Amino acid sequence: MTEFLFLLKHELILGLILVILLIMKIGSKSMTNSSLISLMNGLLFINFVAGWFLNREGVLFGGMFQNSSLLVFEKNVLSLGTWIICLQSSAWMKNHKHLPEFYMLMISTLMGMFFMLSSGNLLMFYIGLELSTIPLAAMCNFDLEKANSSEAAMKMIMSSAFSSGILLFGISLFYGMTGTFSLGGPSYNFDGSPLQVLAFIMIFSGFAFKLSVVPFHLWTADVYEGSPVAVTSYLSVISKGSMVFVFASVMYTAFRGIASVWYDGLVVLSLVTMIVGNLFALRQNNMKRFLAFSSIAQVGYILIGISGSSESGMASSIYFILIYIFSNLGAFGVISLISAHTGRESVDDYKGMYKTNPMLSWVLALSLFSLAGIPPTAGFFGKMFLLTAGAAKGNYFLITIAALNMIISLYYYLRIIRAVFMDKNENSLPSVQGDFGSRLALICCVVGILITGFAGGLYEYILSLSHGL
Amino acid sequence: MFSLQSISSQIHEWLYGHLPPAFALLSEFFIVGMLMIGLFAFLGLVLVFMERKVSAYMQIRLGPNRVGPKGIFQTLADTLKLIFKEGLRPKNSDKFLFNFAPYLVMMVAMLLMAPIPFARNVQIWDVNIGVLYISAISSISVIGILMAGWSSNNKYSLLGAMRSGAQIVSYELSAGLAILSIVILTGSLRISDIVASQQTGWWIFKGHIPALISFVIFIIAVTAETNRAPFDLAEAESELTAGFHTEYSGMQFALFFLAEYVNIFIVTAIGATLFLGGWMPFHIGGWESFNHIMDYIPSSLWFFGKTFFLIFVIMWFRWTFPRLRIDQLLNLEWKYLLPIGLFNLLLMTIIAILGWHF
Amino acid sequence: MTLYLFYFLSFLAVLSALMVVVSKNPVHSVLYLIMTFFAIAGHYVLLNAQFLAAVHVIVYAGAIMVLFLYVIMMLNLNADTEPQKGKWLRVAATVAGGILMVVLVGALRSAADTLPVTAHDNQIGMIKNLGKVLYKDFMLPFEISSILFLVAMVGAVMLGKKEIK
Repeated sequence: MTEFLFLLKHELILGLILVILLIMKIGSKSMTNSSLISLMNGLLFINFVAGWFLNREGVLFGGMFQNSSLLVFEKNVLSLGTWIICLQSSAWMKNHKHLPEFYMLMISTLMGMFFMLSSGNLLMFYIGLELSTIPLAAMCNFDLEKANSSEAAMKMIMSSAFSSGILLFGISLFYGMTGTFSLGGPSYNFDGSPLQVLAFIMIFSGFAFKLSVVPFHLWTADVYEGSPVAVTSYLSVISKGSMVFVFASVMYTAFRGIASVWYDGLVVLSLVTMIVGNLFALRQNNMKRFLAFSSIAQVGYILIGISGSSESGMASSIYFILIYIFSNLGAFGVISLISAHTGRESVDDYKGMYKTNPMLSWVLALSLFSLAGIPPTAGFFGKMFLLTAGAAKGNYFLITIAALNMIISLYYYLRIIRAVFMDKNENSLPSVQGDFGSRLALICCVVGILITGFAGGLYEYILSLSHGL
Repeated sequence: MFSLQSISSQIHEWLYGHLPPAFALLSEFFIVGMLMIGLFAFLGLVLVFMERKVSAYMQIRLGPNRVGPKGIFQTLADTLKLIFKEGLRPKNSDKFLFNFAPYLVMMVAMLLMAPIPFARNVQIWDVNIGVLYISAISSISVIGILMAGWSSNNKYSLLGAMRSGAQIVSYELSAGLAILSIVILTGSLRISDIVASQQTGWWIFKGHIPALISFVIFIIAVTAETNRAPFDLAEAESELTAGFHTEYSGMQFALFFLAEYVNIFIVTAIGATLFLGGWMPFHIGGWESFNHIMDYIPSSLWFFGKTFFLIFVIMWFRWTFPRLRIDQLLNLEWKYLLPIGLFNLLLMTIIAILGWHF
Repeated sequence: MTLYLFYFLSFLAVLSALMVVVSKNPVHSVLYLIMTFFAIAGHYVLLNAQFLAAVHVIVYAGAIMVLFLYVIMMLNLNADTEPQKGKWLRVAATVAGGILMVVLVGALRSAADTLPVTAHDNQIGMIKNLGKVLYKDFMLPFEISSILFLVAMVGAVMLGKKEIK
């Protein structure tokens, strides 16, 4: 019984928050939005902090659910990201009518991700995945009066339903061949017969959809643009991060037997993803679309890391996601503040922003530098580890292309920075004052960007966690 | 000696004694099919007549009294008229679906007859998921209604079909929950097991208050599922002419009409089986001599008596309550019946686990 | 007998699934889809899983497809309102589908001898065994899916309450 409590601790805490929200929604009408926001921020912080204590490793429900210190670390990273997003989007949330529902959907998706991470079984994995995507589609529609928000939700639900279909087909083929749902059980036998490769390709495409790897990326930009900023950042950071975690671990465990097959696929996809993501990002004029394509390009780099050996690949992708959370949320935090106060989201609106909002401009610049991977920031170290992990396989063509792509990406990140710092604009943004929460979130991001790169022990720590893989 | 069971087993033995097994089986199929169709026709005639007489009684009228003694041949005459009427099909209607819909509705009704126990050991198909089979098949009739409404190319029909669809889909839940509460008590989905479990008393008496609540919910839900007043919005005459079968005439209309009455018979038969013991006579646990006396009344009489009593109750509803509005109808289901049903199911589970029922 | 039934049901399922795609009228597509579900329910019965068959009919044919039908009839979609795809798109789709089919058939043929043969327990579809499997082995996914339904309901109600200005 205690085993059950400790192993399922993360999920149980989230479940508890879910129940609290439900009871509050039914029970009291008097709770104002701002008090709900503070309460939720507190609860999510408690969730994040509690994630570090009293962890055990083990298996529950006959292998259906597993927990290890690596998974605990991944879950804590996601909790941290969720907390930061909730902090920084309070300006947008304050005036929303259905705030408890928003939190409910968000918490449940986080819970789904946790279950997905901990799944030792494809069925469990699938249900976790659905729990983490279906409510997200409803979250995309949270700007209730905007038409393109509904469009985003529609595109999200359609593409995720389609990809789930493909994934399910792969899972059923997998089940047909191995006779089990479990990933790596005793009767597990995955050696690379054609049907198994086909099953793998189906499952892989399902993953690729969720990760928005290039041939499957078409939903990303529209969904990111239409959704409220809080949801966009949640989608691009938390949702994608959890998918990367699961993807890497599934590749290294379940599909270890056909590593030579998926290595080629991964290389091709990462090349295409980087190039297309970067080229499209060059010509975007909406900040959210821009960040959508930049996040597609980032996935390309992550795939390079995953294509490396299991330990360093896993560790470097987790490390990169951690840094990516800080840098992307830094950028999204600024965009979210400005969008909530002025409703402006295009790059042209950001011209001359330094005059009126110097602090925000610096935060934005720092985040973009980190996304671009410029040395003093953490982003540089993240990408360096990814590329070294990938280079271990000796595919220098891939690494060269990746390096070239980083140079392209530097151009468009600097374009934004130039607009913010140098361009003149008569109709520049008014001075925006964030509240305590959003400032705290931005400070967290800045500290994260500056510290994680130099805290060398962190990468070693993650590497030591991913040893058993 | 003249019970349905002995008659059917005699026929069975005679057939298998005189014919090769395949032919015997086929001829049994044939006989059962013929009997079912006969029962359908009979039920249609009787129930329509009954409805008219009941309504007349409730409204202090005489009702049909010209054709035959006390008017008992009135419905037969009506049927003849319908058979000889021309079947019309509106312009631009979907021909296949328009013609197919009444047969689909009839087919559903016929399929539903299969697991109903008419008397002791007289049952066409004692499937091991009997109750679920009924829920599954009865949920299809709504497709027939939607088909009819849509293919008629008529706004009244479409609206009627839509209302009917919303109504049936919602009230199915409550009916299902009410059925489930009895399934929890008996621990079996097989209808013969459910009847056998009422050897010592009917569930409506043995299952305390929760069984009573399920029974009431069940009756309300099936009244709505069969589109009967006060839930007859699908064919509300004052609003929609005749609802989904506005455009039907002649025999096709008669099929819908027949299907409606047969459906009433089926759902009440199921209600009687689940809650009132089906063909099981009125037994009281422990009172052996009393039970023996009750056993002298044939089981088929018990079954039809209970079923017709419930049919009478449903007709009584029709002539007593005013029609609901669509929002009231859906509110009743989703805000009252469904929560009550769920809670009741929980209560029933507790009773079943703790063994508080008799 | 069972074999013939199997062939008949498979033929019916494939044919009606094809008709779902080919039909011009969306309502016909939905009705064919219902037929497909029935054929699949028939397959369940052949596997001696009557419970699954009944649930399949209740959930898909009885509830989901009725709502489909409901929405499509309300929208009054006709063959004319259906967007007409370009010729090249159709060719491309046919080629892609054909290639997928070839790959599937090839992979299945090559896998036919390597598939693990497990003894089929013909009582596995009985409701008692199914319940045991569901509540013992697959308890966690079962519970999680209830959370999923709860949250989906919350989302749907929230979106349904959208006020149009």
